[in-house]
Amino acid sequence: MIARRVFGHDPTVARIRRTAFQRGLRAALPAMLATAIWGLVAGVAMIKTGLTVPQALAMTLLVYSGSAQMAALPLIAAGAPVWLVLLAAGIVNLRFIIFSATMRPYLGRLPLVRRLSIGYLTADVGVALFIGRYGDAPPQQRGSTEQLWFFAGLVSGTWMAWQPLSIAGILLAEVVPGAWGLEYAAILALIAITLPMLSGRPAAAGCLTAGVVAVLAASLPLRLGLLLAVAAGVAVAMAFDSLGESDTRSDAR
Amino acid sequence: MMSGTEIWLTIGGLTLLTFITRNAFLIIGQRVALPERLQHALRYAPACALVALIVPEVVLQSGALALHVSNPKLVAAAVTVAVIVGTRRAFAGIVLGMLAYTLIRLV
Repeated sequence: MIARRVFGHDPTVARIRRTAFQRGLRAALPAMLATAIWGLVAGVAMIKTGLTVPQALAMTLLVYSGSAQMAALPLIAAGAPVWLVLLAAGIVNLRFIIFSATMRPYLGRLPLVRRLSIGYLTADVGVALFIGRYGDAPPQQRGSTEQLWFFAGLVSGTWMAWQPLSIAGILLAEVVPGAWGLEYAAILALIAITLPMLSGRPAAAGCLTAGVVAVLAASLPLRLGLLLAVAAGVAVAMAFDSLGESDTRSDAR
Repeated sequence: MMSGTEIWLTIGGLTLLTFITRNAFLIIGQRVALPERLQHALRYAPACALVALIVPEVVLQSGALALHVSNPKLVAAAVTVAVIVGTRRAFAGIVLGMLAYTLIRLV
């Protein structure tokens, strides 16, 4: 049976794993809807750019990164050299390096093949929701079975929300009129995903900074502004974080 | 527009690139230790990245700042935020935001 192959033969362990996986899926549910809309939009956008159906299918299944795909499409349409497209998408992707550093304390002890397959599935939403739930876990508890399977549930949910709708977008692109402004639904969907993450003073201040810097630096080539914005946002969040820590310390005195 | 071969090359390159960046620190495994303080800072990265992707799309119109009510994207985003903050219903927020976006562009 598939369930036994996935969760293992030992019934006690399997139950812990399955429960954590299901909790991860449930936690992903609100974001899955928004992810599905974003996937649909990306699917339509690939065809409207001029990719053939096999090319678009390969792109969504292999690359599986909405922001990198969306960064590449206008350059593909403009006939830019391949290296330039890769450079632009690479800069947009640099945040994944930060994410992989974020997730390493939790996933680092898994066997290499597991690590890599989870790495393929790791999209923004999964990391953000996981850190929202387990970011405060003490170092010695990081990487527990429950955390790992919760994360597996999150990223599987995101994948299952993205791919079918992205494929639907690819197949239905011809009948979706551009005038619908569907591409903006993707941004509204991202807003719905992001709003719950803004609680707490450090996160709110960091995100405000990231937003302002992203706008100020929007004209930088190759979307370098995105990277700058993340760096500035994290720095400000950390500053507020240490302020908060010294507050609680003086309260305790 | 790129040729078919170039597009396939690009897709291959993007696949490799995304795979490598997503796995950068996972490939290294536990061999290199990150300072606890840096790990703590990285918790804020995903939310900052999402906000940095969203905000320019909402407030910029062909490269210029458009913070007024005749910017349909700004109004739609405000509707979405208000509905989600008020009702905690993500789907309703997205649908009503799209409705506002469509109405303003039609009027």
